[in-house]
Amino acid sequence: MFETVLLSLSEGFVKSLEVFFLTLIGAIPLGLLISFGSMSKFKPLSFLVKVIVWIVRGSPLMLQLLIIYFGPGLIFGNNWWGSGSEGRFIAAMVAFIFNYACYFSEIFRGGIEGIPQGQYEAGEVLGMTKSQIFFKVILMQVVKRIVPPMGNEVITLIKDTSLVRVISVYELMWNGQSFIKSSGLIWPLFFTGVFYLAFNGIVTLLLGYAEKKLDYFKV
Amino acid sequence: MSILEVKNLRKSFGNTEVLKDINFTLEAGEVLSIIGSSGSGKTTLLRCLNFLETPDSGLILVQGKPLFNSEDTTAKSDAEIRRSRQHFGLVFQSFNLFPQYTALKNVTLASELQAKERPDYKTNKKYILEDIRKNGERLLTQVGLFDKRDNYPHQLSGGQQQRVAIARALSLSPDILCFDEPTSALDPELTGEVLKVIKGLADHNTTMVIVTHEMQFAREVSDKVLFMDSGYVVEYGTPEEVFDHPQHERTQQFLLRYSGNE
Repeated sequence: MFETVLLSLSEGFVKSLEVFFLTLIGAIPLGLLISFGSMSKFKPLSFLVKVIVWIVRGSPLMLQLLIIYFGPGLIFGNNWWGSGSEGRFIAAMVAFIFNYACYFSEIFRGGIEGIPQGQYEAGEVLGMTKSQIFFKVILMQVVKRIVPPMGNEVITLIKDTSLVRVISVYELMWNGQSFIKSSGLIWPLFFTGVFYLAFNGIVTLLLGYAEKKLDYFKV
Repeated sequence: MSILEVKNLRKSFGNTEVLKDINFTLEAGEVLSIIGSSGSGKTTLLRCLNFLETPDSGLILVQGKPLFNSEDTTAKSDAEIRRSRQHFGLVFQSFNLFPQYTALKNVTLASELQAKERPDYKTNKKYILEDIRKNGERLLTQVGLFDKRDNYPHQLSGGQQQRVAIARALSLSPDILCFDEPTSALDPELTGEVLKVIKGLADHNTTMVIVTHEMQFAREVSDKVLFMDSGYVVEYGTPEEVFDHPQHERTQQFLLRYSGNE
């Protein structure tokens, strides 16, 4: 029995990892883009972006998952996401990436706005272009500043992956819980906790390593 | 021909006119000190010269060529502004070193980025970068910090950081080097080392514009002194004229206050 459970949980865990990594890959660049939007000097744009960020951060991710998955089919009579598990997975990823991009954008904005004006000016008087200033001077300082708050979000994301089950994406916890129905076993569900804790442990170590790596300078 | 001519320069922030008709000239190799109380417009003037602020009107000529002309309404491209900036170097009050780079890299970064635009960069990359590194080390030697070249800014004292900042400002060989209160953010015992470096530059005929509150230093190092008060040039002349025989009451009051402090 143990082997059956382990196999099933491992399969679910792989799905959870897919959600985790794809969210990060999608949400980091999108978040940077959104942060530029919210800092834009063009007021209508920054206002619009701020409203969107407010909506996304102000409502439950689970609600967003449901709306994004069921919305197109029920409102427009046309399920964009396609049928079957693949369609559900795509919808889940869209919801996750957009949700996390909004959270990340606020962290990026804080990090970018926290860089003193003098750093930009020092680059300017040395004849650097705007993009040289951003990539050669500002970015590394932003990265150093945002590692701790990003760490928080990443750890939350690991646990949030369990939400995709509400649209029947079969991730770790779904598989753990299924043993209650099928075999009357509760311990597989508890066992999923070991997976989350172990993965969180690894991520925490990596974050600590990143912080240490960036210790060579102070901002 | 004067290396720098400033004519009828004006600048307002909102309803506050910070610079009201500024005029002066500077010859190559001369040192100009700008003195005056806080809020008199000294820093704004320096920032206008470095294109960190855009004047509302007036003319800035370097070696007779207009770098800024409010009459000329054609919009300047970023590239043009960047080229104009190259005539000036600026040392900030708060150093503004790049914290993630070593002292040497702080000095060489801008040159390295510019070298990438050279057509022969790819073929001569090694040689060009070697040249830039040597120049950076020479400049750090000049400010007495060769042995600190691999240190990061946070490992340096304020005075050392400011000397690195001076080396960095010199790295692109500007025609005119500007200082915005270079010792105001330093502990009193650290100002000496920075002033000594600036003095050394003056001895080598570096053209400089120095905004400062160090009156004794301004008197020693300057060829010309400019006293500003609420946006006007009140007094302009040799150190002897301004410090020993000030013509205007405002200058006298200002100098009296400072001599009281020293």
